[in-house]
Amino acid sequence: MPHFPGLTAYDLWKSYNDVAVVQGISFSLQPGEIVGLLGPNGAGKTTTVGMLFGTVIPSRGFVQFGPWQIPAQAAQARAQMGIVTQDDNLDPDFTVFKNLTHFAHHYRITGQAAKRRAGELLALVNLEDRATAQVEELSGGMKRRLVLARALLNHPQVVFLDEPTTGLDPDARQDFWRLVLHLKANGCGILLTTHYMDEAQRLCDRLLLLQRGRVIDEGTPTDLIARVIGREVAEVEGVSGDQLNELAQGYGAWYRAFGSGHLITLPDQNPEALWGQIEAHHPRRLLRRQANLEDVFLRLTGSVLE
Amino acid sequence: MKLISATPWGIYSVWWRHFQVYRSTWLVNCLPPISEPIVYLLAFGYGLSPLVGEVEHLGRAVPYAQFLAPGMIAIGVLFQSFFEGAYSSFIRLNFQKTWQALLTAPLSYSDVFLGDWFWAATKGAIAGILTGLVAVLANLYAFSSLVLSLPLILLGSLLFGAFGLLVAGVVNKVDQVNVPIFLVIIPMFTLTGTYFPRDTLPPLLAQLAGLLPLAALVDLLRWPLGLVPWWPLSLLWLVLWMGIMARLAALRIYPRLFS
Repeated sequence: MPHFPGLTAYDLWKSYNDVAVVQGISFSLQPGEIVGLLGPNGAGKTTTVGMLFGTVIPSRGFVQFGPWQIPAQAAQARAQMGIVTQDDNLDPDFTVFKNLTHFAHHYRITGQAAKRRAGELLALVNLEDRATAQVEELSGGMKRRLVLARALLNHPQVVFLDEPTTGLDPDARQDFWRLVLHLKANGCGILLTTHYMDEAQRLCDRLLLLQRGRVIDEGTPTDLIARVIGREVAEVEGVSGDQLNELAQGYGAWYRAFGSGHLITLPDQNPEALWGQIEAHHPRRLLRRQANLEDVFLRLTGSVLE
Repeated sequence: MKLISATPWGIYSVWWRHFQVYRSTWLVNCLPPISEPIVYLLAFGYGLSPLVGEVEHLGRAVPYAQFLAPGMIAIGVLFQSFFEGAYSSFIRLNFQKTWQALLTAPLSYSDVFLGDWFWAATKGAIAGILTGLVAVLANLYAFSSLVLSLPLILLGSLLFGAFGLLVAGVVNKVDQVNVPIFLVIIPMFTLTGTYFPRDTLPPLLAQLAGLLPLAALVDLLRWPLGLVPWWPLSLLWLVLWMGIMARLAALRIYPRLFS
């Protein structure tokens, strides 16, 4: 796999009509690393990705990728990038196979080389038997895999995946995740935007949590969970807020309203003590579980991911 | 937006993509530009010739069908390049998102714009040439004249292709393309000296029609029957229109892709 010196976003800002939708985002992406932008709809994830490959012109800041500066040299930089946008912009005029061979032409991959590469990629994304199908005949998951295949024609050093599994069924998501991990294993640097915390937790080495265009925290998924929430939480129904407040204060725990009940963190040291106290209140429903990124988001932003 | 960022390969590659779509259904694609002028030449040439006989062109009487043929070439150019630029580019821009997909490849905006524009012009040129060949077969236009007219056909195709792209960049719904068709295209293809000499129109209307770019193209394409004295101005007029249209089109489409 070719080595690249990494991609770095420097202080990216973007405003539309004086409303800042991205505010000072900086990060870097290394080979073989999956960095996730996790945040609710409207957090600025897609705008940020647009600034990485040049269709969104930053109000301030820039992206450095190898020798290229983006947006000024975006077209040249894209020769080493693979981009999966949210739109399914496959070519309905061509078959599955020709979607790849004809797009390869833009990378100066032509003739037999284009056919060979298209064949390899169709095998990789498990669409070999659909080569002659029209794009419209493909399922949603197949289309996403074909868009990914198209983004890999040029053996890219970095791949941007903007909400790649939105709208896919669980099986199709698993298939897609397998491909993403395969790319990572081959040394690709991957930037993934998602609002699915399981996707972020499963795939990403590092996460940037976004809210209203700002990075509110970052780190590995396990580090973020451990640091912000701890190991475990309890979901409680049928215990009053006042009672939980008292318990939380006594144990240095954090709690907040959640659904029709409350969520409360259990201390890493001796969680049984607090757990026992909660049980003693005879809650209508009580669930003890591992803390997750959803809890992190809830604590940091006061809102759930959607 | 930097127009200098275009590369020959990038422009060619975008053009080539459109050509592949065309090639896959070439028979269907070739049919309208061939059948249309044949129908027009039959209908107007044979139908009206006995009634009209000869028309006066630059003080010289010429058979009506011969007068008509260059007008039909110009109309072929106008329709095919305009419709490709307006409808097809609009669909590629707003429904198929072809432009957006191309911009994930190492292609610049200029590559994609110029590739699309040159493709629209190619379709206009194909129509103009096919119409010209029909006229040659009907003995209404000399083959050598057609060869010499190729630069004119190309210039007209670029002009009306750019106008089509401008429309694609301005309208928000595909139905709105009808507005410039009824306000500009139809008056232009009927009044600018395509079917009859402009000087049969009331003077004011004739002058207005003479300013429309198709008038200049038709006048120039009619050179084998005699060249208008102001032909360098006509040529310049076409180049000017082309430049303005292309520039405006590029400026209008850009914000639909970049923010």
